[in-house]
Amino acid sequence: MTSTIKTEPFVINIGPQHPSTHGVFRIKATVDGERVIDAEMVMGYLHRSMEKLAEERTYTQNIPFTDRTDYLSSMSNNLGYCLAVEKLAGIGVPDRGNAIRVIMAEFQRLASHCMAVGAFTNDTGAWQTPVMWAFREREKILDLFEMTCGARLTCNYMRIGGVAFDLPKEFMPGARKLVQSLPGFIDEMEGLLVENEIFLVRTRKVGVLSPEMAINASLSGPVLRGCGVAWDIRKADPYCGYEQYDFDIPIGYQGDSFDRFIVRLEEMRQSVRIIEQALDALPGGPHSTQVPLALRPPRGEAYGRVEGPRGELGYYIVSDEGPSPYRFHIRPPSFINLSALKEMTVGGSVADAVVVLGSIDIVVGEIDR
Amino acid sequence: MPLPILATNNWYDFRDLSNFSRLILENLDKILPHGIVYVVAVLLGFVASFLIFVLPSQLIVGVYGERKLIGRIQSRYGPNRVGPFGLLQPIADAVKLMQKESLMPLRGDVIVMNIAPLIFVAPCVLLFAVIPFGPRMIIGNIPSALIYFIAVSGLPVLAAFMAGWGSDNKYSLFGAMRIVAMSISYEVPLVLALLGVVLFTGTLSLQGMVFWQRDLNIWIAFAQPLSFAIYFIAVGAELNRTPTDIAEAESEIVAGYLTEYSGMKWGLFYGMDIGYALAASAFAATVFLGGWSFFGLDKWVPPWLIIVTKTQLFYMIFIWTRGTLPRLRVDQLMAFAWKFMLPIAIANLFVLATERMMWVRAFDADLKFVWVFVPINLLFTAGVVFAWARFLGYRPENTPRKARLVNQAGGFIPLGGAKGETRP
Amino acid sequence: MATRVWPGSETAAAAERLVPGSVAKSTPVACYLKPEKLVETMAALRTDPESDFVHLTDLCGVDFWDHFEVVYHLQSFEKNQFATVKVEAWDRENASVPSVVPVWHGAWMQENEAYDLLGIRFEGHPNLYRILLWEGYPGWPLRKDFLSMPGGLQPGLNEFAGTARRAEPPVRAVE
Repeated sequence: MTSTIKTEPFVINIGPQHPSTHGVFRIKATVDGERVIDAEMVMGYLHRSMEKLAEERTYTQNIPFTDRTDYLSSMSNNLGYCLAVEKLAGIGVPDRGNAIRVIMAEFQRLASHCMAVGAFTNDTGAWQTPVMWAFREREKILDLFEMTCGARLTCNYMRIGGVAFDLPKEFMPGARKLVQSLPGFIDEMEGLLVENEIFLVRTRKVGVLSPEMAINASLSGPVLRGCGVAWDIRKADPYCGYEQYDFDIPIGYQGDSFDRFIVRLEEMRQSVRIIEQALDALPGGPHSTQVPLALRPPRGEAYGRVEGPRGELGYYIVSDEGPSPYRFHIRPPSFINLSALKEMTVGGSVADAVVVLGSIDIVVGEIDR
Repeated sequence: MPLPILATNNWYDFRDLSNFSRLILENLDKILPHGIVYVVAVLLGFVASFLIFVLPSQLIVGVYGERKLIGRIQSRYGPNRVGPFGLLQPIADAVKLMQKESLMPLRGDVIVMNIAPLIFVAPCVLLFAVIPFGPRMIIGNIPSALIYFIAVSGLPVLAAFMAGWGSDNKYSLFGAMRIVAMSISYEVPLVLALLGVVLFTGTLSLQGMVFWQRDLNIWIAFAQPLSFAIYFIAVGAELNRTPTDIAEAESEIVAGYLTEYSGMKWGLFYGMDIGYALAASAFAATVFLGGWSFFGLDKWVPPWLIIVTKTQLFYMIFIWTRGTLPRLRVDQLMAFAWKFMLPIAIANLFVLATERMMWVRAFDADLKFVWVFVPINLLFTAGVVFAWARFLGYRPENTPRKARLVNQAGGFIPLGGAKGETRP
Repeated sequence: MATRVWPGSETAAAAERLVPGSVAKSTPVACYLKPEKLVETMAALRTDPESDFVHLTDLCGVDFWDHFEVVYHLQSFEKNQFATVKVEAWDRENASVPSVVPVWHGAWMQENEAYDLLGIRFEGHPNLYRILLWEGYPGWPLRKDFLSMPGGLQPGLNEFAGTARRAEPPVRAVE
C-alpha cells in the first residue's frame, strides 16, 4: 500500500539578509519541502528616490547619482545619462571623447561581468574561489579607472559632451597590458567551471526561460541573449561610434542559467576585442566639448539608452527648459529583468532559486534606486 | 597476535610513547591505591592523544592550514597578521569566539539548543580512542573497533538535528533535515565499502588491519581502490565538506543548523567539524593507507608521526575539494548516493567476496597471493567508474559549452543557425 | 544600421489603421492614444507584422501638474524600430490608465513602480501594490506637489544662481 506523505507548504524568506541575494533583496518563497511553489519579490530596502532628487539638481549634478544606481557599472550609467542629455540638448561629442567612452564602458562591462560570473559561481557553491579569481582581475580594471579619474567604484567620469579628463599617459601601456592578459583569465575561468560536471548539473536546465517569454517580459542584456535572442543596443542602435568596431553578439541555446553564464563569458571576450580596436584607433583631439554648467536643454523629451552590463540601460528625461530635468526616469535593467523571476524559480528547489537569482545578476542599488 | 616490538622498552625511546606512559603509570601504581591507575591510564591516553594529535592538528592544520591553503587557492594570502606568519590566528579566533555574546532565539528550545554542542563534541573525542598511533599506542584496542567507530560517528547527526530543531529557524530546520537524510543515504555505501576491507583483512580491529597491511607491505587503498573511493566520497558527504556540504550550504540556507548559533557554541560546532574530518582522515589513514606503518620506515621514524602525517595529507584533499568544486543540489546528492554509490558498492562487495572465496579455495588463504587481486581490482574500479559514467550515469546534454555568436542584431534565432550566425 | 525611430505621426497612422479611432493626437515625438482603446491598440501594435513592437522597453509616468502622461517606449527586434506611445490621465485624484500587462508581461513591475511613485492606478493589473515603498506611505513621491511646503514654497533649485523661479504651479499640500 502506498501512502503519500502530506506536507504543508510554508514560507521561507530568502533575504533581505542572506548570503546570496547580493544586497538587501528579498524573495518570499513558498516552499513545499524543498520545492518552490510560489515566489514573491519584496524590494525597496535601498530606495533612495533618485528620480525625485534628480529633479532638484542641474543636469551635471545628476551624473554622480547615476554612479550610485548600479554601483558595479558606474561608467555605463554615466554614459547612458550623458547620451540622453546630449540627445535632448543636441550636443555633439568629439571623436576622442567617444573612443574614450567606448574604452571605459567596455572596461566597465568586463569588471561588472567579472563580478557577475564570480558571484554566480559563488551561488552555485564553489566556495569563493572563482569569486576571488574574478575579483583579482576586476581589481586591475579598477586600477585603470583610478588612474584615469581618481575613483574606483563610483567613477563620475563621463560629462555631458565628452569625458571629464583626458587619459593619463600611463593609461595606454596599462590598458594594453591588461587587455593582453584578460583572455587568459577568461580561458582559465572557463576551464575551471564550464567543464565541471557539478557546475553543469547545477546550472543546466535551471531557470529555463523561453525566448517568447523573455521578450514579452521586457528582459534585456545577457538574460535575453541567453535565450537565443540576438539583441544588443551596441549593434542595433549604435552609439559612441560602436559601428566602427568589429564584434559579435553572443547568444545562448535554451535560456537556462548556464547559457547566461557562457554568454557573459563570451561577452567579456568581445569586450576585449572592442577595447583592442578602440585602443589602436584612438584619435587625437579634444576629449570634450564645452557645455555650459547650468545647461538648459530645449523643451522636449529624450530617451537615451546604452547596452549596460546587465541589459538595456535607458534614461528618459523630460525638460521644461529649466536648469534641472523636469522628469528623470531610469530604465533599470536589473529591475525589469526580475519580471520573469517567478516564472524561472517556481518549480525548482530553493537551491535553484538562488542560482537563478545569481544568473540574472541583479544589483540592488539599481532595483531600488 | 604477538606484538612485534619495534622500539625498545626504554622510556626515552620516543618511537613508542607508550613506554613513557607506562613509566608514569607504574610509578603512580606504587603511590596510589590499586585500581585507580586504570582510570588514570585512560585519562592519560586522552591527554596524550590530545597533545600530540588533536591540538596540533586542529589548530595548526585544521584552522591555520586550511585557511592558508584555501587562501592560496583563492589567490590571496590567508591569515598573516596574528603572530609569526599568522600562526596564532586560531588562538585569536578562539579568544574572539569566547568573548562573543551567545545569542538565543526567543522561541528556541533552550535545553535542546544548549545540549546540542555538547553532544556534538563528545563523540569526536571518543572516536580517537580506537585509532592506533603505534603498535602499542592505542587507548582502547577493542576487537570490534570498526563497528565502534561507525556507531559513534553516527552520533553527531543527532546533535546536528537537535541544533536545527531547537533553533526554531526554517533555515536550521532545512539544514537539519538535509543532514539526517544525507547521513542515512551515505552511511549505507560507506559501511558496504568498509565491509570489503573486513572481508580481506578478516578482522574488525583497526590495529589488526594495520598489522595486516604492514605484514603484506600493501595498503588496502591499492588492494581495493573502489572501496577507498567510495569511502572518500561518502565520508565527505557525511562530514559536510564541499562539494557535498548541503547541510550548511552557505549560499542557499545561510548556515544550515548553525544559523542561530553564535559565540563559543558555534565555535564548538566549527571546531568539531574539523575534529570529525580529522577523525575520518585518521580512520582512512588507518584502514586504507597503512596506519602507522610505512613499508618498514616505522622502525626508524616514530609511528605516531607517520599516522599524523598521513592524516594531515588526507585532510588536505578535503581542503582542496572545498576550494575547488561547486556544490551539488540536495536531490542530486541523494540520487548520487542511491543510484550510483550503492550499486557500485554492492558490485564491489560482490567482487571482493568472490576474490576472497577464490583466495581461500585456490590459494589456501595464503596471504601473499593478495598481490594477484591488486591489478584485478584496479582494472575493475576503472572499468566500473568509466562504464557507469559513460553509459548509465548522468550525461551532460549535447549543447555546446560556448555561446553562439551572431553579427547582426535581430530577434530570436532558433537553434540550427540562421541569419548572421558566424559560429555554431 | 541604427534603430529607426518612428515619429508620432507614423505611430498614429499605424494605430489608426489597426484600431480605428484609437488615436487622440500625435506630436513629432509620440502618439497619444485614447485610454479606452489603449490595450486593444497596444496588442495590435505588438502582433501586427509591420509594427511588430514585441518589446515594451520602458514604461514610466510623468506628472504635468494638471494631468499625467504614461509613456511607453516600444521596440521591435526584427524590424529594429522604436516608437513612443503616450496616454494621458486627467483626473488627478483618481488617475487611472488601463494596464498593458495582458499585452506585455514586462509591464508588471514597471506599472507597479509607476503606481508606487506617481499614484497612477493601472486598471486591470493583476497585482498592483507599492513595490518600492511600503503600503500606507503618505503621498506619491514623484508627483510634483509632493514635498511642497506650506505657503507655496518649493524645495530645490529655486535659488540656484542665474536661474529664474519656475512659473507658479498650482501647489497642493500633502495630506
